[in-house]
Amino acid sequence: MSSSEAHAAPGRGEPNLAHHFETQNQQDGAVRLGMWLFLGTEVLLFAGLFLGYTVYRNFYHEAFHEASRHLSLALGTTNTIVLITSSLFVALGYHAIKQGKEKACAVLLVLTILCALGFLGIKSIEYAEKFREGALPGKWYHFSEITAPGANLYYTVYFLATGLHAFHVIVGMSVLIWVLKGVLKGKYGPKNYVAVELGGLYWHLVDLVWIFLFPLLYLI
Amino acid sequence: MANPTNNEAPHAAEHAHGVGRYFAVWIALMAFTVITVITGHQEWGSVNLPLAVSIATIKATLVVLFFMHMTEAPAANRIVFVVSIFFAILLIIGVFGDLWTRNEMTLPSAAPSTEGPEISVPSERLGAPSVPDSE
Repeated sequence: MSSSEAHAAPGRGEPNLAHHFETQNQQDGAVRLGMWLFLGTEVLLFAGLFLGYTVYRNFYHEAFHEASRHLSLALGTTNTIVLITSSLFVALGYHAIKQGKEKACAVLLVLTILCALGFLGIKSIEYAEKFREGALPGKWYHFSEITAPGANLYYTVYFLATGLHAFHVIVGMSVLIWVLKGVLKGKYGPKNYVAVELGGLYWHLVDLVWIFLFPLLYLI
Repeated sequence: MANPTNNEAPHAAEHAHGVGRYFAVWIALMAFTVITVITGHQEWGSVNLPLAVSIATIKATLVVLFFMHMTEAPAANRIVFVVSIFFAILLIIGVFGDLWTRNEMTLPSAAPSTEGPEISVPSERLGAPSVPDSE
């Protein structure tokens, strides 16, 4: 992504070929491989959290079940729909810029960013509710409705997993805002769309993580 | 990097499909979301978790293959991602191999009850406030 800051500024919609690459295809291939490597490390990062969840769920099955029923399924489902739809928007935006439709791409990126804000808004409503109830991690837990041992751990995992995911939403949104700026400046087009593609890939990963978090935290 | 000819063809396959595919995937993802919400709240015991994880895996596969264009990605990129998933699964298998073969005494469920009177830790530190009226 950042390997393209070498020579004089390219023309409108033209890619910037770094000096250590011989062809544009070679550069694009390397950039894409780098992105997939990064996404692979992200999978491993979240795998650790999922593992922690599964292990504790195995120990405290009843408490985890009871605690998961206490999350708002309506808000969780809404957020799932918001994220899946935002993934569609960003995929369509990628399709648009490849065909040179800069305006359509910009609109779709704005819609994706709005979805990201919507997701964070809904998430903060859920967090506020948990703070009010005292369903908090570790020693701050003082939720009187579920006192079974292990419920505390459920909310620790809940806040850690959704918190790390929300952080990814914020990062993904910032990346998409940066991409949107480039689109509005006319930097991208049918010959130069890798940045839009990679921003989209990151956003899809955010969606992927939520696809697993949602059933494990809200439904099980 | 010295050999520019080892690059994949300039993504000719990417132009083979239109926006229809994205909408089809989106509809499928929505449908699976509805299915997982409905089935997730049935009390089917041990079926619930494998079912929910299976549906999530199908949804994730759709996203990776079509939204993330893994169907069109060169082999090197696919290997990187698939290997990371493989190692994540290996991690889970390893840990569960340990859990399922442990001596029962070492499991938290075999530990002394947190509500027993012999526990000296203040109850509010245990996440199980056994005497909520003390606050």
